Amino acid sequence: MKQRMKIKEGLSYEVVVRDRHGKVLERIAAPSRSYARAWNQCLYVLNRHTGYTITDTSGTGQYISVSSSVLRANAGVGEIGYGIRVGKGTTPVTINDYALEAPCGEGTGPDQFLHQATSASSPAVAGPDCSFWLRRVMVNNSGSTISGIQEIGCYVMMKYSPAHYGLGYRDVLPGPVYIPDGGSITVTYTLKVTV
Amino acid sequence: MKRGLWYKATVRDRNGKVLSCENRRSRSMLGNWYRILYAHMASTSTSLVHTSGNSWGVINFGDNWKFVAAANEDYIGIVIGTGVAAVTIDDYKLESQIMQGTGSGQMRHLASTPSWPSVAGSSCDFLTSRTFLNNSGGPITVRESGIYCRVKGPTYYGYACIVRDVLATPQDVPDGGSITIDYTLRITA
Repeated sequence: MKQRMKIKEGLSYEVVVRDRHGKVLERIAAPSRSYARAWNQCLYVLNRHTGYTITDTSGTGQYISVSSSVLRANAGVGEIGYGIRVGKGTTPVTINDYALEAPCGEGTGPDQFLHQATSASSPAVAGPDCSFWLRRVMVNNSGSTISGIQEIGCYVMMKYSPAHYGLGYRDVLPGPVYIPDGGSITVTYTLKVTV
Repeated sequence: MKRGLWYKATVRDRNGKVLSCENRRSRSMLGNWYRILYAHMASTSTSLVHTSGNSWGVINFGDNWKFVAAANEDYIGIVIGTGVAAVTIDDYKLESQIMQGTGSGQMRHLASTPSWPSVAGSSCDFLTSRTFLNNSGGPITVRESGIYCRVKGPTYYGYACIVRDVLATPQDVPDGGSITIDYTLRITA
């Protein structure tokens, strides 16, 4: 007897830009094309229950062992070592990416955002789907518009202490987005499997 | 960039001759895969039904997702069965698992052998393989496969079914023969 149901597994993103009043200026939603090598390597560490050298977001190989910190993404306010990030890079995603090309930093200086906490929904089963999302709001209090935001991604923790982080996934947007002073950009990644 | 899971089922006779082979994309990451992923990414706990049928949940813990298995262990790693029920999102075990042993309808479970993650061209993948020997004295038809992994709930350790496939073609394993199941998790740029 053949299996009749088709199961799809995927990652998608939504980017919403708002002005200082909360008015939505732009919304982009698309399938992600972007799991990175470190993602599979972290899964390998967990699946095989072993250690493995993985390139961190600084480009340095780090020996990562099994721990509860592997794949953690729930970064707190102002924490940019892990969690969802945005940047100004435009280079297409490759399998060997280990970080965003030009990530925006934390702060109120030029091209910096105030990173809110990365939040997550509980996994939900709705019909044939099981999914959850990760979301982060980044506020522009730099005093001027931040232009040319064109890459997004998610850094995951690989080791708690000393802290090492890896690139979970990265996407290049179809075009640049502009976040006005006082405005914000919200990035939501949804991880879903569908029967 | 694409991500996916593939499986390959290879049946051999007692002399090692390949009798049949099925190689296709898995249709089967289950809801439990995502529940464990959520527990890790959000560093929290969530509900999950273990292979025992108990709703013991899962918390963020280093032992989660372990599916490397030793010989004779039929509660973890790649597992096989005779069930034909279509996969559903909330499957928590195989429909009818073939257990460890040499009795009727049983097969000997060898250790699983994961390979290192490798990058070749635009892909990064790693493979986990397990061979099952049929020393039952009669033929056994394998119709389903899957992966059980270790999980820790707030109170109890247990095991969760995170992958299940119903084979497109039932694989007949003769007495003295074997079936090898390979699962490959791959990302392709």
